[in-house]
Amino acid sequence: MQTVINVEQLSKSYGNLPAVDKLSLSVKRGTIYGLLGANGAGKSTTIECILGTKDADSGMVSVLGCDPKKDRHRLFENVGVQFQEGDYQPEIKVSELCEETACLYEAPADWKKLCKQFGIGGRMGNTVKSLSGGERQRLFIVLALIPDPELVFLDELTTGLDAKARRDVWKILSELKSKGLTIFLTSHFMDGVEALCDEICILRDGKAVFFGTVETAKKASKCENFEDAYLMLSGQEGEKE
Amino acid sequence: MRSFGILLKNELKLNIRNMNMVIFAVIVPLTVLVILGFIYGTKPAADGTAYTFMEQSFGALCCISICAGGLMGLPLIVSEYRERKILKRFQVTPVSPAKLLLAEFLIYVIYCIVSMLTLFSAATLFWKIKIHGSFMLFLGSWLLTMVSTLSIGLLVGGVAKNMKSASVIACILYFPMLIFSGATLPFEVMPVAMQKMIRIFPLAQGIGLMKAAFLGLPVENALLPVTVMSVVTLICFGISVKCFKWE
Repeated sequence: MQTVINVEQLSKSYGNLPAVDKLSLSVKRGTIYGLLGANGAGKSTTIECILGTKDADSGMVSVLGCDPKKDRHRLFENVGVQFQEGDYQPEIKVSELCEETACLYEAPADWKKLCKQFGIGGRMGNTVKSLSGGERQRLFIVLALIPDPELVFLDELTTGLDAKARRDVWKILSELKSKGLTIFLTSHFMDGVEALCDEICILRDGKAVFFGTVETAKKASKCENFEDAYLMLSGQEGEKE
Repeated sequence: MRSFGILLKNELKLNIRNMNMVIFAVIVPLTVLVILGFIYGTKPAADGTAYTFMEQSFGALCCISICAGGLMGLPLIVSEYRERKILKRFQVTPVSPAKLLLAEFLIYVIYCIVSMLTLFSAATLFWKIKIHGSFMLFLGSWLLTMVSTLSIGLLVGGVAKNMKSASVIACILYFPMLIFSGATLPFEVMPVAMQKMIRIFPLAQGIGLMKAAFLGLPVENALLPVTVMSVVTLICFGISVKCFKWE
């Protein structure tokens, strides 16, 4: 299977504080890859270094065969991104945000169709800030899909959603995967990770402490429940009790 | 080209919805014009001059919108987009900084055009102003003044650390230029010593040039303001694109 993301020996620190420490990982085409870890474990920094929006101190990153710093223009024609802290213009309407995003690409997907497909077709004339949490997250998936990408990055997409809305998002992602999309995500919800991710990597203080599948994680930690396995492997077991 | 049009259209819509610039760049200059019109009417600028006070002030009035857009609107929107991480969202799309900055820049050009046209129509209609000099020369100096002032704003928005510092820098540039360079208080009513000091403002140079072109007065040494404004424009554009920061 073709590798779409390849990271080797990536390191990044803020002052003396190492955020990512010699991380290597690779993501295969058509799979869902989960980057897990506690708050501050280095997930967002890893994503930003992979995308080239932050400069890594050392290491090599290749995404779809591009160097994200040098080939930014070419890379982002084919990659959709949803940032944890990305924002939109105040007062912007759903239709305007979609139209404005679509116009930045050479061959964008039909955003009206995407909005309908994701159940926000009736909200296009509303302002983005008036949407409910679930609707907004679905809008962010639409935005990430507007480039008609081969690969999407979703940083904590389901944070702040209720159980039903979260489950809807997971369902959407699994449908997207079945259409051949590669998804790189971070999440704090292990039920979703267990249901979706083909491969996971658990970060602890910027270092990868586990690579593999959900099943191998359970075996390695001798836990039946994946959430227990995750907490043990990410070093948060003590905090839980 | 079409895609740039969509970007510009949406950004302009958002800007108008915000209303700040509609007020400061279109309504305020028009209000000042009306007030001056009621005070001075069609009186000549001074005893024996061939042109009226309104004609003399027209160039300066056009600069209120230029100041508002270039020294308030543009720096604040660029730094706001950076601080709110909106630029970061643009960073992970194929758009180039130059294209994005150009769209924001053109929005304020549009405000300046609208303001100039409304001022001209109102002043012609109610106070019968006429161009005594050359229309093309006036347009040229207006364009140069606008582009150079807006480019300063682009630079401030580009280099300011955050919205707060952008707004401080904007105020430091905006209020003195607006009040003293002849954009609101007519240059002619100020004491001579003050007039001399004010000549160092680039905007005052632009206003001087516009006034001379409008009234058909001889321009001494037009090359100096033209050169100064062109150089300022080139430097500011260059630095803001080159040193552009998404975050």
